[in-house]
Amino acid sequence: MIELVNITKSYDGKTNVIENLNLHIDKGEIVVLIGESGCGKTTTLRMMNRLNDPTSGTIMIKGEDYTKISKIELRRQLGYVIQKVGLMPHLTVGKNIEMIPELKGWDKKKRKDRAYELLELVDLPPEDYYDRYPHELSGGQQQRIGVARALAVNPDIILMDEPFSALDPITREQLQKELLKLQDELGKTIVFVTHDMDEALKIGDRIAVMKDGKILQYDTPEEILKNPANEFVEYFVGKDRLWKSPEMLNANDIMHKSLVTVGQKRSPAQVIEVMKKKDMELLFIVEKETSKPQPPIGYITRKNLKEQEDHKVKMSEICNKDFISVHQNANMVDVLKIMEENEIRYLPVLDDDKNLIGMITTASILNIITKAVAVKEEENK
Amino acid sequence: MNDLNFFQFVASRSDELIGLTVQHVQITGLAVLLAILLGVPVGILISKNKKVRSPILGIANVFQTIPSLALFGLIIPLLGTGYVPSVFVLFLYALLPIIKNTFIGINSVDEAIIDAGRGMGMTSKQILTKVEIPLALPVIMGGIRISTVINIGTATIAALIGAGGLGEMIFKGISMASNNMVLAGAVPTALLAISVDKLLGMFETKLTPEGITSQKDNQV
Ligand SMILES: Nc1ncnc2c1ncn2[C@@H]1O[C@H](COP(=O)(O)OP(=O)(O)OP(=O)(O)O)[C@@H](O)[C@H]1O
Ligand SMILES: [Mg+2]
Repeated sequence: MIELVNITKSYDGKTNVIENLNLHIDKGEIVVLIGESGCGKTTTLRMMNRLNDPTSGTIMIKGEDYTKISKIELRRQLGYVIQKVGLMPHLTVGKNIEMIPELKGWDKKKRKDRAYELLELVDLPPEDYYDRYPHELSGGQQQRIGVARALAVNPDIILMDEPFSALDPITREQLQKELLKLQDELGKTIVFVTHDMDEALKIGDRIAVMKDGKILQYDTPEEILKNPANEFVEYFVGKDRLWKSPEMLNANDIMHKSLVTVGQKRSPAQVIEVMKKKDMELLFIVEKETSKPQPPIGYITRKNLKEQEDHKVKMSEICNKDFISVHQNANMVDVLKIMEENEIRYLPVLDDDKNLIGMITTASILNIITKAVAVKEEENK
Repeated sequence: MNDLNFFQFVASRSDELIGLTVQHVQITGLAVLLAILLGVPVGILISKNKKVRSPILGIANVFQTIPSLALFGLIIPLLGTGYVPSVFVLFLYALLPIIKNTFIGINSVDEAIIDAGRGMGMTSKQILTKVEIPLALPVIMGGIRISTVINIGTATIAALIGAGGLGEMIFKGISMASNNMVLAGAVPTALLAISVDKLLGMFETKLTPEGITSQKDNQV
């Protein structure tokens, strides 16, 4: 249905905003473009309806080179929901939706029926909203009108640039459902831009994860989740999803990574010094103090050291070698259980080779909770 | 005659004053009308075409900065005296605010709105007539209003080159040292300016699309 072949785009003739991008979109599928701000999602979308022209490469729509038909004709075949909504402030909601039908010469009754139908679809009672002006609507309501407007002449292909970003979660979910229904019933082909991985996973048949003008992975949601093509995709998928499901958080995510350890040859006085400096009650002992991960030998507490009378004794001789640790992939629920059951406040985290790579403490858990709350708060804004 | 008070003087000369006022309105009206006919399209042009923008604004600015008295004087060798050169000079004065406001009005239409229009498949012409001009209208009207008000004042000077209008009464009064006569020209000019301003202001409000409320005070 839509085919982008070797597309490169530069606005200034120097830097490529899109580089050698290939994307094949089948009829009736919802393809989600996702990536960080500035990665080129909008640019890619706008090349599909020729609001931007690619610097090089070809685009085929419905099997034809799209430069063969007029831009106007092309755009009327593609619904477009722009990121900034862009409703005409001097026109009522009804007239906004009816703009293209009117230009296409539909008669008044047909236009109005269509506008009513679409207002129902986006859940704004037509009797109340048809005659309102855009400035009398909330941001989310305006976005919904933007969606309704894009559907007005019933295009086969709809391009949507973060259409639900200003909506509350409930309305958003509702519109996501509507979108899926729409596509199900009418077989629309939808290209959907979002920042939100949850949204992408929910509505996408395929997801294109973008970074710096390139597609890193173009796959089904399952594949993206289970087999991320590289670290960025993994990070991008994980970062957002993590906070929403604690069972997805593992020891690796919640541990302190800047680890303080002491070598086994240190004297009690030196270790006390380190503890004081770092404000710690407990330290893990390793063979040598290098930055390379190594297996923990044991731990020592401040209390242990204070009770120690022999000032020449080495850590390897006096440390507690009996300790509990977790593997880095242990999930947060298990980690909490272990800490609670054993009444410990320090839990060393080991990698596959049993090297010490981090430490979970009550403080690091508190940190995670704080971050999760912050993410939630940001979302709520 | 100097014994009459101002009101008696005006009453005694009412026919003449009405005639001069009509003449005054005609000169300024025609000058502004011509300025609209040229200025609005030019304003639209320079909002679309960056290359011609600064030369055109530059030229229009020059006319604005030449003192009106000098411009009326300069026009005599070219067009002589009377009605036509007067209207021409006034037209030049009216041009800048209209061009400038049209340009600003069109240029300040939110890019996102135009983008949405283009993205939906509106042609450039449709965007101009259905989006940009309606949204710029209050600002354009503001320019027309300023031009008109300035022109009503400036038109009194046109009497010097034989255009008639209320300026004739003022200059006659000056040469005859008659305060009443000067006032009889000046007061109606001021009243005319004020009432035309009000009238155009009402018109402007009426032209402002219902959906926009904030653009009304954008005149420059
Ligand atoms: N009209 C333009 N002129 C010059 N540079 C542009 C233009 N539009 C976008 N860019 C640049 O191109 C890059 C990609 O922008 P684009 O809008 O496609 O990003 P995006 O992925 O949609 O970001 P966001 O999520 O913030 O909307 C950015 O670096 C941006 O600064
Ligand atoms: Mg964008």
